[in-house]
Amino acid sequence: MEEDGVIQQQAQEDGNSTITEAVQLPASTPWPMVLALGVALMLTGMVTHWAVSLLGFFLMLRASWGWFFQVLPHDHHISIPVQAEILVITSTRTTRERLPEGFMHRKIIPIETFSVTAGIKGGIAGGIAMTVPAGIFSVVRYHSFWYAVNLLAAGGFVSWAGQTDAFLGQFHLKGLLAASAIHGLTSILIGLLYGAMLPMFPRKPILTAGFIAPFLWTGILYSVLGVISPILNARIDWLWFVLSQIAFGLVCGFVVNLQVKVRTPQFRALPFSVRAGLHGDHSDTKDGKQ
Amino acid sequence: MANATPVMEAIDETLAGKRPVFEVVYEWATTVDHKKIGLMYIFLALIFLIVAGIEAILMRIQLAVPNNHFISPQVFNQLFTMHGTTMVFFMGMPILFGFGNYLVPLMIGARDMAFPRLNAFSFWISAFGGLLLYFSYFGASGLYGAGSAPDVGWFAYAPLTAKVFSPGHSTDYWTLSLLLSGIGTIGTALNIVTTTICMRCRGMTMMRLPLLVWLFLITSCMVFIAIGPLTAAQIMLTLDRYIGAHFFDTQAGGSAVLWMHYFWIFGHPEVYILVLPAFAFVNEIVPVFSRKAIFGYPAMVAATVAIGFISLSVWAHHMFTVGLGAAGNTFFVFATMVISVPTGIKIFNWLATIWGGKIHFATPMIFCVGFLFQFLIAGLTGIMLSAAPFDWQLSASYFVVAHFHYVLVGAIVFALFAAFYYWYPKVTGRMMSETLGKWHFWLFLIGFHLTFDFMHVPGLLGMPRRIYTYEAGRGWEMWNLIVGIGAIFQVVGTVCFIFNLIRSCFRGEIAGHDPWDAWTLEWATPSPPPSYNFAIEPTVHSRRPLWDLKHPEDPDSDYE
Repeated sequence: MEEDGVIQQQAQEDGNSTITEAVQLPASTPWPMVLALGVALMLTGMVTHWAVSLLGFFLMLRASWGWFFQVLPHDHHISIPVQAEILVITSTRTTRERLPEGFMHRKIIPIETFSVTAGIKGGIAGGIAMTVPAGIFSVVRYHSFWYAVNLLAAGGFVSWAGQTDAFLGQFHLKGLLAASAIHGLTSILIGLLYGAMLPMFPRKPILTAGFIAPFLWTGILYSVLGVISPILNARIDWLWFVLSQIAFGLVCGFVVNLQVKVRTPQFRALPFSVRAGLHGDHSDTKDGKQ
Repeated sequence: MANATPVMEAIDETLAGKRPVFEVVYEWATTVDHKKIGLMYIFLALIFLIVAGIEAILMRIQLAVPNNHFISPQVFNQLFTMHGTTMVFFMGMPILFGFGNYLVPLMIGARDMAFPRLNAFSFWISAFGGLLLYFSYFGASGLYGAGSAPDVGWFAYAPLTAKVFSPGHSTDYWTLSLLLSGIGTIGTALNIVTTTICMRCRGMTMMRLPLLVWLFLITSCMVFIAIGPLTAAQIMLTLDRYIGAHFFDTQAGGSAVLWMHYFWIFGHPEVYILVLPAFAFVNEIVPVFSRKAIFGYPAMVAATVAIGFISLSVWAHHMFTVGLGAAGNTFFVFATMVISVPTGIKIFNWLATIWGGKIHFATPMIFCVGFLFQFLIAGLTGIMLSAAPFDWQLSASYFVVAHFHYVLVGAIVFALFAAFYYWYPKVTGRMMSETLGKWHFWLFLIGFHLTFDFMHVPGLLGMPRRIYTYEAGRGWEMWNLIVGIGAIFQVVGTVCFIFNLIRSCFRGEIAGHDPWDAWTLEWATPSPPPSYNFAIEPTVHSRRPLWDLKHPEDPDSDYE
């Protein structure tokens, strides 16, 4: 019977349960509704007439009294007769086929995945790697490493976006702290997202993390930064920006790939020989027998 | 009658003269059964959906062409206030809590909610709150001292709500009705939390809870935190208006920004209070129609908890234009962007669940696919708006209107429709028509995209929110016309849905108890379930108890 998807509720019993002839359920009562009406009328009186509030007050008192005796000294219950026969849970419809139960019903793809910490590690490594092209750009173009740092900090300090190149080329402790916080937290978050995304692209993780994601991210920023901050938009060198993003993505993806993968519950469903590494993954055979 | 719904039974018996109407009404009015209360929540919300939908259409007609005088400016202000308030407080929350009421006890193998009488009280006080809000229309122009409908926006910013700018009682109606519904919402949330913690059947550990129950649990916890500040603010506003307190009176040392803080400490978590149940529906539907277990259950739970926490720390991104200062702006920009991480994890997990699955594109599933696509876009525009400089330029424009409708309609309403098609057979014992469902989906999808995709454009072109009309020649005409046409499509789609709901109740194909071959406990009951839910209290051994019952030779419990 089970093969046809028929379920017998009797099967839910674990040896202790019995089918009782009646079930005790709380009895119907008008008092919750009356109490709600009383409260509502009390407030309505504030915008209509005091007599409405007075009526509400009396309804509230009466309903509270009634409700009190619904639950004290004992809850007021009624007995509902129970359908005592074994209940067969099945569809009686004939014009629609039941959904197919495929061999994939418990398949979790992939059977191994990266842990959250792998993404964080990747994000930190990528964030450090990203500073190299950004720093080179800053030194070559503005003869100061601090230009890139301060430009990033200007994302937090709106007034800095209008400052001169000379100002941005100087060391500012405030700028360093702000840029470190922004860059560090963003790198960790992006790393987390990579960690979440990489299992979705198991075949070419480096390609995804290193090139596709940076280009997508840069494209989105390129299209909106002119609206968000035209001054920052004018100061960003997009070629170097893309190079920095690629550096982030490649290193992040590389570091994530170095981490040991975590096995999903699907792995535990595989035969021992597969788990032991003696055979390849034939996870469909178990379910395929059904 | 074995497959009749409680509603159908009542209708049939009343029409056949077996029971007088009063008796049927009394039975429903006095019920403490969580399923009936859930259905009443949903019915109430559908009524308010229709009302608020009509208000939206009237606004779109007004804005479809420039220099239009279809309705007056005053009526327009009332319409957008009532539309927003109704959709958020009297449609969104009741309908979601209606589903929660119906499903949570069934899914955890309980016989009822922990506090059934409180449950009834919560419903009725919410319902009376809604009635009070709309009573303001009937009390127009001074009858019993009632003003006309509220016209201060669903956010009711101070000092617009001060007595001097908002004379009469219209704002009081807004405040008092939301106070009432707030009491009801907290009551329901309390019930859901207690029921989930205390009334799970044997074997149902927290990590075996259906994800729907997890998400309703987190949502309910958020309600406790979010509704309190709103209630406090409303009491303060009432004191301002009635006894001359000056909490929000800027002329007497009060602060208008204080209202904004209070309101958005409620308002932003509210978005997640609405969207988490929508996620909950998708969590249940996508695996069943992909014929795969949900991918990353622990990650989904963790992401939900993270969203719950982070959403409480992002309220001020609604206030960038106030001038919070660089430190405040930076914090809230960052906090807002951080929330995209757990949300992204959810999207990846849904995609991973679908990936490699045997997908069955029944109506609930296609609505879920629509949800996934639209929620992604809504998230992207959300990230754009979380950047303070971008927000400064577009905060008061139609771009923001388009963004939040993308979330509220594109994600939440699509997930709600999916939920209706999915659980309707359980509630009624009958299937909804797939043909009408597909018509509903395509009409609503086309309408949705015509409306809210194109609403971004006039926003980018500088069209402000809440304007009554506009002059020709600003480049907004064509976009507004398209938006109006899209709204009509959505109306036609919704009419299809309502017709399907009613028609299927009487003529729908008999569903049986488990028509989707699903895995959670509610499908182990008859359709519709009896008042006691389970004749035998069930015992579960895994996250998919019905799978274990159907396949004892290969139960899930071996893998968890």
